[in-house]
Amino acid sequence: MGGGGRRQLEVGRRERLGGGRRERDRGEKERSREFQVLVTLCVKLKELLRKGLDLALKSLDYLSCAVLLFQASAMAVDCLGKWTVLAGRKLLSLVDLEDSHLKLHRNPRQSKWDISCVQWNPHPSHANLFVTASNQKLDVFSWQDTGINHQSSIRGHSRTVSDVSWSPFDVNIIASCSVDALINLWDIRDTKKPSSSFQTVAGASQVKWNRMTNNLFATTHEGDVRIWDTRVGLVLAYKVPHSSRLEIHVKGNSPLHYIAAHISKIHGLDWSHTSESNLATSSQDGSIKFWDITNPRQCKGTLTAGLPVWRARYTPFGQGLVTVVVPQLRRGDNVLYLWDTNHNAPVHQFVGHNDVILEFQWRKLQENSKDFQLVTWSKDQTLRIWKIDPSLQKKCGHDVGDISDSSENEMTLPVFTSQSSEEAEKVQAELERQMSLSPDNYQGQQPRSLQQEFELINTEIPNIRVEELDLEKRMCKVVAMTKSGSASIGLVMKFPENYPFGSAPAFEFQEQNINIGVKQRLHRVLSDTALRHLKRKNNCLEPCLRQLSNALEFPMNPEERRTPESEMPYPFPSVTSKMSQSSYHMHSYMDLNIPFPRTSGAKFCAAGYLVVFGRAQEAQKGPSGTDFTPKSLSELVEYSSKMRMRTVPVIKQQNFLPFQFAQSPPKTVESVTIKEWYYRGQFKGKRGRSKEQNDSRSKEQEKKPHLSSVKIFDIFTVLPINRQLGQKYIINVDDIPAMCSHNAKVAESMGRKDLVRVYDVQTLAMLCCVFWDRRDAVPVKPRTQSTPIDHTPQNESSLLTEAMAGPVADKAVATLTPGLISHVTSPPILPSPMTFLHSQLTEVSSHPNLAALAGVLKMRRSNSWSCLEDSFEDYRFEDDGVNVKEKEAEREQRQHDNNCRMLDPSGQHQYDQFLHSYSDILFHWGLKNQSAQVLKFANSGRESHKGIEFGVKCHYCGQNVRGAYCGCCKNLAFNCVICHTGVKGLVNFCLSCGHGGHTSHLMEWFKTESVCPTGCGCTCALADYSLIYDTS
Amino acid sequence: MARPVPTDLGHYFSIFFFETKDHLCQLNIMVSVINSIDTAHEDMIHDAQLDYYGTKLATCSSDRTIKIFDVKGGQQTLVSELRGHEGPVWQLTWAHPMFGSILASCGYDRKVVIWKENNGSWGKLYEYLSHDSSVNSVQFASQEFGLILACGSSDGSISIISSSGDGTWDAKKITNAHTIGCNAVSWAPAVSPSALFDLSGRSQPTKRLVSGGCDNLVKIWREEDGKWIEDKKLEGHSDWVRDVAWAPSIGLPTSIIASCSQDFRVIIWTNDGSSNEWNSQLLHKFNDVVWHLSWSITGNILACSGGDNKVSLWKENLEGQWMCISDVNKGQGQITDGQRSSS
Repeated sequence: MGGGGRRQLEVGRRERLGGGRRERDRGEKERSREFQVLVTLCVKLKELLRKGLDLALKSLDYLSCAVLLFQASAMAVDCLGKWTVLAGRKLLSLVDLEDSHLKLHRNPRQSKWDISCVQWNPHPSHANLFVTASNQKLDVFSWQDTGINHQSSIRGHSRTVSDVSWSPFDVNIIASCSVDALINLWDIRDTKKPSSSFQTVAGASQVKWNRMTNNLFATTHEGDVRIWDTRVGLVLAYKVPHSSRLEIHVKGNSPLHYIAAHISKIHGLDWSHTSESNLATSSQDGSIKFWDITNPRQCKGTLTAGLPVWRARYTPFGQGLVTVVVPQLRRGDNVLYLWDTNHNAPVHQFVGHNDVILEFQWRKLQENSKDFQLVTWSKDQTLRIWKIDPSLQKKCGHDVGDISDSSENEMTLPVFTSQSSEEAEKVQAELERQMSLSPDNYQGQQPRSLQQEFELINTEIPNIRVEELDLEKRMCKVVAMTKSGSASIGLVMKFPENYPFGSAPAFEFQEQNINIGVKQRLHRVLSDTALRHLKRKNNCLEPCLRQLSNALEFPMNPEERRTPESEMPYPFPSVTSKMSQSSYHMHSYMDLNIPFPRTSGAKFCAAGYLVVFGRAQEAQKGPSGTDFTPKSLSELVEYSSKMRMRTVPVIKQQNFLPFQFAQSPPKTVESVTIKEWYYRGQFKGKRGRSKEQNDSRSKEQEKKPHLSSVKIFDIFTVLPINRQLGQKYIINVDDIPAMCSHNAKVAESMGRKDLVRVYDVQTLAMLCCVFWDRRDAVPVKPRTQSTPIDHTPQNESSLLTEAMAGPVADKAVATLTPGLISHVTSPPILPSPMTFLHSQLTEVSSHPNLAALAGVLKMRRSNSWSCLEDSFEDYRFEDDGVNVKEKEAEREQRQHDNNCRMLDPSGQHQYDQFLHSYSDILFHWGLKNQSAQVLKFANSGRESHKGIEFGVKCHYCGQNVRGAYCGCCKNLAFNCVICHTGVKGLVNFCLSCGHGGHTSHLMEWFKTESVCPTGCGCTCALADYSLIYDTS
Repeated sequence: MARPVPTDLGHYFSIFFFETKDHLCQLNIMVSVINSIDTAHEDMIHDAQLDYYGTKLATCSSDRTIKIFDVKGGQQTLVSELRGHEGPVWQLTWAHPMFGSILASCGYDRKVVIWKENNGSWGKLYEYLSHDSSVNSVQFASQEFGLILACGSSDGSISIISSSGDGTWDAKKITNAHTIGCNAVSWAPAVSPSALFDLSGRSQPTKRLVSGGCDNLVKIWREEDGKWIEDKKLEGHSDWVRDVAWAPSIGLPTSIIASCSQDFRVIIWTNDGSSNEWNSQLLHKFNDVVWHLSWSITGNILACSGGDNKVSLWKENLEGQWMCISDVNKGQGQITDGQRSSS
């Protein structure tokens, strides 16, 4: 074969695509003859090509290439690196990678379903087992020299299985996920039912076990990733809901973590080989993202590939990543990309396939090689093995030791066989050197030296600032901030000489003022982290810092932990802005907890409207005559999947791109809206007619749902308040009788006789306006008092009966009225203004409000009377002081004042509340004038003035003055510094020196000057007003 | 539509039904439909709210849009259609007009969006994205507190977002307010509880809010020194609490909260203002989930609506009994008689 020593063998065989029975009946002999002919043909062809392309091929990276000429949709490499299984619809073939000719073992299979994925058992003890997924079924096969034996079939999914993953920790456990939204764990010894089952609400497309930690696996659902813990699932299964009919949801386990990773479908997911919490996702959106599940909200990094990425897999060495584009694209991008995760551009491209790459997998590192090998299977029906030599490994940040001897040579150096003995020795020597360098023979596991670690550290850790990395002193200094930024902690890490190999760094906190408990906690966290990583022969600097960052996310002490977080971290802009672009399908996350949405409701709005929306008549109830409304949104999904299963048969897929069906659920889970929940049931109920008719009808209906309209009701008549009344009522405290008669007429004209018995806020507020005089010192209007009216008991009692005869007041007022009068404890002073009012009121007795008003007044009065004895009792209680008489006089005086008012002052705040409420309601009605008028009667302004207030000291006598004239010396208090006369109107003055005067004078002055006209030395025009603000 | 003049003023009962041909209401004369708006939403409507003056109607739907109609004087003009949510929109709330024409919405897409009208055109004012699951409830606080919004989410937390006035927004989060999820929030009216006993009356009212969640609890929260702390936990429901509503106050010291639940019950919680004790009273047990409650502006009528697509209005009588004033089964006369006899 051509120079360069590169060996390339081609094995080919054509498989008839027609697929008839006759072909299958052909004898094995005939096949092998055909096969041999083809092989020789291909070899000859290749040799010819070789000669011409020899030079070009030198630069290619692949070791072997096998032209297999049959279609397979899935490929897997076993854990020993010996066998590759290729699975297609008609064939299950095994390729011996160790065989120099890439010997092929073929096992025909007959199925109308393609194999969507295949995986070998990752445990060397059971390396001969592999599992395939085809449609809804899993099959476990074992491979012996004699051939492939079918071991068992696993049926447990109701829709296509999209991915399988064999647990790296338990030899018997397989995880499978499916479009039916179930993730099942199977024990291959008992395949009747899954050992655990996890329910989601969205179909899963990938399932992958964590490589480092037992019990943890991840699944992808459209753009989301869920992290599950097998143990959590079991515990949750015992949770019993409150309602019996929701038992079906008990299965639904919630994931440990949830990552809203991409804005479109995730095609590939891969866990890191070296970190238990890191994973990478590749998506239709053309990006590869890195995540740390301990912080699922924040993406650790993104690589932009531009094209939709089918798979992204970590390299088993360094920080590399291999990706391929989505095969369905077929844009001629048949290249395998190698990335360094820290750079946003591929470090290498593997060119060679003539069609899109369907699958690639790592082969176990061969014993006498330092090249990693990658096995790829492409649509061009060739299987290739690529080598990743140390120079490439280094590009991915892998420490390969000394590769000084010409990495360029390496590229073209043959690795296998037919090399000169000289070269072989060289390779061997190199290998030995490498082996001696790394104490751990597992790839990528040897710790980096401190220098490399310092060089490679990613300092982008939230809340952590790396201050100093000193290699000579072997120390690292960081400052960690708490989340709020309010406190910071300095940390010094000192690395002992033999640091990455056995000894953990020492941690020292700089600040003395932090709580000793906190310090201990952090110290423990850090030491634990360091030890854990060193045990695995990993470096620990960055993990420790991340741990510190995480630890600081939590409140500093348990006491703080109870209180709600006062400071919300502002959302990380980059992540959230991306999130905002994503489209959320129904049922993508935790719908189990989301209440079933309201589809009808009534809401009191503004003042006096009721807005009502609801479902149309034909959508009264849910489907199948259920009498209840679902509790959570997830029930909708469950229902929808049931409906779909019944109505839509699974579509057969034949002669499609084989992988298309298989590895990705081709369609997103149909979203079922709440609308369908209500409307579909209707049609199901009517299913007496032919099906087609039904379907077409329901489709039509779905397109144009009959939704009910929103109605607005006027409920003024139900409410005790009325807009028209509010508009037309007048408040006139100077002429109360006139006001009363006016308002009575208004109420009557509105037909609101019912207001007689409504002591509502409207009435109350009106009452407060009239009777609560805020000029507190003045008793009551003299006019009223001067009116000589005899008060007779008869009068009063008649009033009382009248009031009692009226219908019962609202509860609110009933509770309120005693409140208004409860403080009145002394005998009333007569004649009171009320009696006057009463006489006036008789004229307008038809007015309901007045009757109500009279009721209030009378109740107050009658109470006063009846409290006569009580007041003496009160007096007796107080009768322990010496100056009884004086006290009594004082009290009488006070009570006299109070009684002169219509309402008790102690309720003042409450009256204000009434006024405010009423004014707010008036405002609702847009009656701003009325609102303001009512508010005028409110005693306490809502807000007192806050801020700077300027006072003037009288120019003559030095008194504090408000207003233009001094209250003391009656002079104009403020003198103009220019004309030396008092200022009456607008005053301008310097905030610094306080000098000022007439605006016009000062403007004139400062046109040319910048210093104070008094000559005080102040540069008024340039004065620094911050002084003022400081003192304020 | 003409407002019918009530003839019998002694009664104010009405019947709300969705079963008639017009699938809305069969009414007695006292309550009249003044407007009926065909929203043309493509999917179910989840909330409809009038603004402060009752002139603009906002509706939100599963079709991911919010529509704003001008309903002044009986018209129904579509003013704007707000797009921006990427999932069903669950709830809306209008801010007080002193802050401008501002509407907030929340939805399944975990977003809270605050919309503002500027010269007739609506746009996003702010978008809050810190919830990890569907945001089920939003409500603006009483204007005395400023432009403040509370949001309850299925991630179990409650966010309190406040405008600082200069275009920036501060957010505080009560994490894990309700395990499993928070379904509803409602602000207490801006009446300082102590003010009724405190003659000075100058103290700033405390911000309080009530929330309900999937832990079957109703919780009352109070802001103290800028931090939100749990004031009270009310246990009474045996299933998810779907809605809570704090009754508006007209100045009385009593606080009233209504809560409704998946357990079909509506409970009225009252506090007399003198202690932190809340008394519960069962309003009614319905035949289906009750998922929305609303108080009238004076706080004396409660509207309950639920999965059975019906609306009922309730009012408390003097004995403290809650009476349905809109149920067909209780004849008008009966209630009238009852009321008369009680007087």
